[in-house]
Order: sequence, then structure tokens, then C-alpha cells
Amino acid sequence: MIRIKPRQGLLELGLGNKTIERLKSWVEHWENRLLVWGLLVLSVVTYWSYYRNGLGLAYNDARSHLDIGRRVVEGLKPGLAQLGSVWLPLNHILMVPTIWNDWMWHSGLSGAIQSMVGFVITGLVVSWYLKELKVGLLGRLAGVGLFIANLNVLYLQSTAMTELLLIVTMTLGAYELLLWHKDETLLHLIKAGFWIMMSTLVRYDGWFLLVTAMMLIVRQAWAKSGYKKAEGVVVFFMTLAALGIGLWLLWNLLIFKDPLYFAFGPFSAHAQQQQLNDAGVLITKSNWLQSVKVYAVALLYNSYTIPTILAGVGMLLLWADKSLSKAVRWSSLALLAPLVFNILALYLGFSVLFIQGIAGNTWFNVRYGIMLMPAIAIFIGFLVDRAKKFRPLVLLSLAVILFFALMGGDAVTIDDARVGSSQKNVSEVSGWLRENATGDSGYVLISAASHDAIIFSSGLPMSRFIHEGTGKYWLSATAVPDRWAKYIIMRTHDKNDLTFRLVSETDAMDKYTLIDTFPFADIYELKPEYWAQLETTIADPEVR
Amino acid sequence: MASDRQNVGQSTGRIKSWLQVLVLIIFSGLILAMSIRGIGGNPTAAEILNKKWKEDGPFELSPERGRFALTYSLVENKTFYFSVPLARFILPDLGYKNGHYVSLFAPGVSYVVAPGYWVGKWLGSSQVGAFAVVALFGLGNLLLIRAIAVRLGADKRAATLGGLAFLFASPAFAYAVTLYQHQISTFLILASLYLLVKFNSWWSLLVIWFLCAASIPVDYPNLFLMTPIALMAVGKMVYYKKSRSGVLLGVKLGRIFTMAAAVLPLVFFMWFNQQSYGNPWQLSGTVPGVEEIDANGNPTAPAHATVDKDDLEKYFDPELQKKSIFGFFETRELVNGLYIHLFSPDRGVIYYAPLVLVGLLGGVWLYRRNPEITVVCLGVVAADILLYSMWGDPWGGWAFGSRYLIPSYAMAGILLAFLLTRLRKRSFGLMLIWLLMGYGVAVSAAGALTTNALPPKVQVLELEKLSGMVQKYTYRRNFDQLLVNNSKSFLFGQEGHKYVSAWQYYLVVVGLIMTGTTGLMVMLRWGGRND
Repeated sequence: MIRIKPRQGLLELGLGNKTIERLKSWVEHWENRLLVWGLLVLSVVTYWSYYRNGLGLAYNDARSHLDIGRRVVEGLKPGLAQLGSVWLPLNHILMVPTIWNDWMWHSGLSGAIQSMVGFVITGLVVSWYLKELKVGLLGRLAGVGLFIANLNVLYLQSTAMTELLLIVTMTLGAYELLLWHKDETLLHLIKAGFWIMMSTLVRYDGWFLLVTAMMLIVRQAWAKSGYKKAEGVVVFFMTLAALGIGLWLLWNLLIFKDPLYFAFGPFSAHAQQQQLNDAGVLITKSNWLQSVKVYAVALLYNSYTIPTILAGVGMLLLWADKSLSKAVRWSSLALLAPLVFNILALYLGFSVLFIQGIAGNTWFNVRYGIMLMPAIAIFIGFLVDRAKKFRPLVLLSLAVILFFALMGGDAVTIDDARVGSSQKNVSEVSGWLRENATGDSGYVLISAASHDAIIFSSGLPMSRFIHEGTGKYWLSATAVPDRWAKYIIMRTHDKNDLTFRLVSETDAMDKYTLIDTFPFADIYELKPEYWAQLETTIADPEVR
Repeated sequence: MASDRQNVGQSTGRIKSWLQVLVLIIFSGLILAMSIRGIGGNPTAAEILNKKWKEDGPFELSPERGRFALTYSLVENKTFYFSVPLARFILPDLGYKNGHYVSLFAPGVSYVVAPGYWVGKWLGSSQVGAFAVVALFGLGNLLLIRAIAVRLGADKRAATLGGLAFLFASPAFAYAVTLYQHQISTFLILASLYLLVKFNSWWSLLVIWFLCAASIPVDYPNLFLMTPIALMAVGKMVYYKKSRSGVLLGVKLGRIFTMAAAVLPLVFFMWFNQQSYGNPWQLSGTVPGVEEIDANGNPTAPAHATVDKDDLEKYFDPELQKKSIFGFFETRELVNGLYIHLFSPDRGVIYYAPLVLVGLLGGVWLYRRNPEITVVCLGVVAADILLYSMWGDPWGGWAFGSRYLIPSYAMAGILLAFLLTRLRKRSFGLMLIWLLMGYGVAVSAAGALTTNALPPKVQVLELEKLSGMVQKYTYRRNFDQLLVNNSKSFLFGQEGHKYVSAWQYYLVVVGLIMTGTTGLMVMLRWGGRND
């Protein structure tokens, strides 16, 4: 009802209670659908934008993830064994249904799909989580809005990186854990166990969430029903939740003969960090202050600082809110698992994080700071809802920050991908391969561990490459390279490059011409006089 | 009879109140007069190039030079463009557009101080006259802080102390005695806030919108600092009623039209841009810059320029430069910016005015009386800190303390009044505040009487290499100046130096401020309620 009162100079808009109720139920009915559609459109548009400008494949790791998925379905030795070790397998397994298609592989969409789905679902779950905390529509919109307006989130959801897949599985796990803390129904415990199990198969952050969840469940069950019940509940939970870890240990035992191969093997993060430590650049190892500082800066950069500070206030408000049960408030600690995990990992030397100008001279793994975005979104949503008089101040502050962040294109994860240690501009090497090796059938001997980006960017089919994962092909080619490899790609004189380490023990390199030296690798081609003895068709080397 | 006695009582009370204000004006005016920087005389454009006026004098840094140059140009040369001597005076913060040297600063300050320049010139000290206008605004800010706090329910003595804390115990002191925009911007914010607090009429809204718009030509970021005020003003135009049958959202149409008052300052602003830059929408910060002028008066490359061809071309032909307003504010700078403004030894509030941080606690008590105004005050603080933490140069160049946070110091002054009101019978709390006040006055007076040219810590290493000496980057540099008998105070330079040293002069100023402050605190503690 619109009314004008000319004498008083007033314009009034009246809404009756029935209209308000109808509006409320309409919003509640359509809220999830509108959210899903809105998030989907944003996800697709953002992916397309980063695909067009090439940034979607800027991360070296993204190209490696895609290659791993591809090797499962195509190559000299396709199969599940190509899932390898060190990197947990879920991301690669999810690629299998689509990565057989060359375009899906080389566009990165095969890996980005799970990030995009993760993005959409996380947005939804943030809203659901806030609803369970009795947060109204404005608070929920603020929380979801903060999450989706973050350029780092939008960028990572357009890539084949693991962040969004990890975020969605962890957030779903935390959400189901919240529901279990509210009503203690077994179904929620099972779902929590399932999603946390999935997160343990994405990245090791999920393993820490598992421990956190277990402790929260023990606390709740023990407080409510005593030790015996707690024991039973935890065993029930862990049977499913820890299944992923158990399978992963078994996998490492079966394939690599060592259940801890992923942790201590030659390609593990531990081995990599050991080298950095020996070079004196791992400043966070055994240093709490540096570990906290470095991760805190990564977190602040990823979140634009002010949201993190406001989320801290929201978190304190949540913990002090007596209208929520103690159980619910305790369960919110699950959201903070990534914070503790990352600091711990830096302290123990299992993780490395460089922040240009603060820790190191470059960017590396600064994207780890994005892991707390769901927690920040939820705590801010809560703050917006509860701090009624300060609501305009909070919303205005966030609006100003997001405005400048978007206008300025502030995305530290893109800096990491473009100019940090996570980038590898291998276009010269891969370009040479594409131009010169596309037409023929000679194999390329290359270490996938060192040069997956070259493999990806060359555009050649995986079956053209002999690498560590090709079993006997690799053993034969590194023993007698001139019989198998028309091309060798390696970093000469770098013992970290497995190809160099092995072929330098042969005298075959006299039979190769150095084509050129590039920043990341050198290209060798077999001299024409030896081409006749080359193997150029796929066959079992044992037959030779 | 009883009502007669009441009337007499009220009149006496009002006279007492006015007397208190008068004493405050005289007291604060005296201290400001003792501190204003300057040299006697009406310098010409050629004369002010002398070191006596620049590095050793009142125009030690380019913000003062740039604004004064525009005032000089408007009053003396009747033009928006700078002559070559004036252009040299302003380097390296000089603009260039359509073949003319122009200002890189928002024009508001230059216009506002023009009457002071003119009066000063008539009295034989044009520069002092211009600077005195800024001091008047500083005094106005003190009075407004007091008035706002009293209006909201603070004890009058506490409110006075809040105003004194702002003007004399924070870096606002150092910027009340020279030619910067901060005191004027703060005045516009406080005046709008006072109108919001005291009145609820269409004409007060008219003035508020005018002030909001007028703040933009003074300093562009005021657009953001005024936003909390503007939002509250909008809140006075709309209303919301809940009843058993539903809700009513109303708009007072007459008040909507008060927003038209914003047109006049904006028209002036666009007119200035048109006159100076040939484009009404051109912001001064996006005008091409000149860092050096050759012997023929043409733009040239500075000594530090690289040999890159593209780079050099932009020095010789400045209009090839492309600047964007969004490039000035980067969210990536927030972490560093917050640290610089709050905790760094070269600019941090915790070093220069810790009383400000304590004063913010007064928000707890103001919130109980008036949550809306508390949110507005904190909104101004938030906008101030956020914006300038994103600024590419949070240090403010060579500066004394965090000059960009001066509006926040004013808000903290209001809140401090409520903290003091709450603590007025607690000796320990008052003693703590007195000590912090003393510290703030000691530091700020040193800045006001000597120099604002403190280098950022990041530049100090380079400076040490060049000078071969240890370079200080905190307020210790100011104390060193006093100890070698250096003070830029006009009064000290004209007369004071004949009788006392700079250090003694400084002690007199500090002593005066602390005497007044102590007296007020004693009255607050042991006097009756006075609100």
C-alpha cells in the first residue's frame, strides 16, 4: 500500500502482516534455488573468464593434477596405479569420467568441474550453517556474499586445484557435525563421517579435521552420556571417517611397498621441505612465531584483512551467545581446523609458504590462506545478524573493502600462479615439442615429477611420454635411451631431475644433440643416424 | 518567586557556561598562537624559493607548498595556473595539463585560507595569515568536540578535556599550525555531527548536505569519511513504524529536497576542475605529474629517472602519463597500513597518541546513552583507518605521526569525554589518563614547534647512506631540533628567541597545556557534577 500525505509532505509504504508472511515464505521457499542458480551462473562465468585469459591453467600444480588424471585413462601404462602417491587421489579420481576427452583435459575443465561444484555447494552450506545458528536472511546473505565476492575463491574455483574440493568436503563435514551436536541423530554422524572421509582423500588438512571432529564427538558424547557411549560413538564415527586414511595407507603399501611412502618418500613434501631447510629458507620450521605470522599474513591477504578481523569479533560473539546450546558452540571449532593444521604443518616443516617481502623473495602456497573463508563467512554472517546497531557499520566496512578489492583486482592466488614459485612458464619447451614432435611417433623421455607442466602444455598425447609411471618403459628407456627416446627433456646437471640422474650414468648422451637450453629444461634430440633403431610403437619392453 | 529564582539561576548558569567557553578559547588560542609556524613578511614567488622559506621554514614539505602556491596564484596572479617560479616551489608534487603547470591537490584548502592570506598580507605576514586560518579550524574542532560531548551528556570538564586531548595531545597539534587539509576536513565532519546531534530540522539537513559536499574539494577521501554522517542524515529523512497490523516505511519528502544543497559545492568543484584541467570530471590526483623543471621552465626528467625510453618520455611529455583513482587504494596494503598507522614506531598511534586508543573505550558508555551516534563516530573512525590503511603511502610521506587519522583522533576525543565522565571519581583512572595526556602533549608539542618532516623508517637506511649520519625517524628527531635551538614557531622566531631557548619555549607551551589540563582534572575529580 502506497500513500502520499501532501500536507505533511510524507510518502509511505505500508506492508500488512499477511503480505510480510507471504514474502517470508516465498523467500524461504526459493532461497536455496535462487542461491544455487546464482552461484552456478557466477561459477560458469568466472571459469569462462579465466579460461579465456589463460589464468585457469597458470598454476603448475593444476597442470600436474590434470596430467595425473589423464594418465589413469591414457598413456603407455594407463590404470589406477597412475594415481601415484604423495597427492591424495580424490581430485584425480573425479576427473576420470571426463578427462579422456582432449578438450576437457587441455582446457582444465575436467579438474575445474569439481572446484566449481565445490564452490556452489559451499555457498549453499554457508547459508544452511547460518540458518542452524538462527541467523536471519540478511546475515545469511552477508555470509554467502562475502564468500562469493572473494576474487581468490572465484579464481581457485575456476582451476583444477584442490582447494575448493577440500573446502566443500570440510565444510559439509563441519555442517553435519553441527547437526549431530544439535540432535545427535546417527544419520548426521554418518554423513559427517562420510564428508570428512572424503576430505581426507583430497588433502592432509582433512586428516586434521578428522582428529578435530573425533575430539569434539568424544567431548559431546562423554559430557552427555558418559564414557561407554562416547567410546561407541567414536568407534562408529571413525569406522567410516578414517576409512579413507586406511585405504590410502594400504594403497601406498601395495603400490610402493611402504605405507608411509607418501610422507617420507623421495617425492614427498617432507623431502622437498628438507631441501629447502638445508638451503636455510624454511624459516617457519620449529619456529612458532614465524609459523603463526606467515600463515596469518597468508590468511589476511586471501581474505582482504578486514573480514578476518570482523570474523574474529563474530566468533567471540558466537561463543558468548547463550541462546545457542553449548554443544553447538563447541561444534563451531571444527571450522577452525584449517587454521591450526596449517600453522602446525609449517612449524613441523611439512609445509612451506613464501610471502614476498615477508617470508622469502617470492610467492609460494599463499593460497593455503583461503582455507578459512567458509569460517570467515559464517562468523561474519553471525556478526551481521547479532550486532544489530552495528550492522550498518559492519556492512559498510565490508562493502568498501570488497569494492576496492574487486576494482583493484586483488587476488594474491593469481600473483602466486603468475609470478610466484607456483608458476612455470614452460611455453618455450612445450612450444618446441608441439612444433617439432607432433608430426612423428618418437617417444619423449621426461620426468613427470619435474616436468608435468611441459607434458601438459605440449599438447601431445600422454602415450608419447615415457616417465616414472610407465614402469618397464621407464626402466628400459633410462638404461638405453637411444633405443626408446627420440627426445629427452631434462634439466642437465640437476640431480633432482630423475631423467638426468639416470641417463647420465649411461654413455648414450653422445648420441643426442642439445637442441636448446631453456629456463626449466633442456631439449635433446637423437641424432638422425640412430633413428632407425628407435622403438616408435607401443609394445611390452620385455618382448625385446 | 521560585520561578524567578529558577530563571536567575538558569541565566547565571548560561553566563558561567559562556565564560568557560571564552576562557577555553583564549587559553587554546594563546597556545596555538605561540605555535603557529611562520616567518614575517609577504614573500614573492621568487623569494619563497629560498631555503629560509622551504626546508628551514614553514614550507618544509610539498603539501604546504602546493596549497599555498594555489592560494598565492589565485590572490596575487588571479589565475589557476602556476608561474614557473611557483611551479619550481611546488616540485616534486606539481601537475601539468594542457601546457600549464597546475595543482595536484584538491583546491578547497587554498580557497579557505585565502582570506587569511589576504588579512595576513595586510598585516605584513601573508604566510602566517594563511596558516592561522588552519589554526582557527583547529580551535573550532576543540570547541565542537566539547559541544558534541556535552550535548550527548558528558560532564563539561570531561568534554573540555576531550577537546584538549585532540588538539594538543595528538598529532592534530602539529597539523593545526601549518597548511594541511586535516583540520579543515575534521571541522566539516564535526560540524555535521554537531548538527545531527543538536537539531532535527530540514534546515540542519540542508547545512549537513552542503558540508558533506563541501568536504570533497577539501580532500577527496572525505567522500568516504562523511558517509556515516550522510547515512545518519538519510536516516532522518525516513522512518519505520511497526504496528500490530504490519509495518510502515515512510519518507519525508521535504527533507529529501535538502540534498539539493550538495549541488553548490559540487558545481564549484567541477568549475575549478574545468578551469584548471579543462575537464570538470578530472580529479587532481589523476593529473599528470612533473618532478623536475629545466632551466627553460619546461618539464624534464629528475636525476633518479631510469634510462628506459618510455619512462623518460613521460617526464618530458607528462600528458603521456595515465593515472587511475583506483590505483591509490589497494586492499593488499591493509596489513602493512594498519601496522603503520597503529603500531609502527615512525607513525603509530600507540607511540604518538596512546590516549586516543584508550579514549575509544569511552564508546562503551556513549553507546548506552546514544547507540546511533556511537555507531556514527565509530563509522568515521572505521572509514578513516580502512581507507588510509589501503593507501599506497600510509606514512603520509614525511610526516609527524599518522596525519591521516586526525579525524579519528577527533572522534576519540568525543568518546574520551565519556570515559572521563565515567571515571571522574576514580583517582587511579584519572591519573592514568593524565599521564597519557602528559605524554601526548610532550610529544605533540615537540612536533608542533619544530617540524613535521620525519622520514618513514623505510627511507632511513637510504638517508643514512647519503648523509653518512644516523638518521632518526621518530619524534626524537623533534627533540633533537629543540636541543639545537630550532623552532619554526612564528612567535619564537620573531620575539621569543631573544629571551628563551627553543627548549625553554617548548617547556612553557607544555607547561601551559598541562596546567590547564591538570586544573580541569582536579575540578573533575573533586568538583561537583557539571553536565
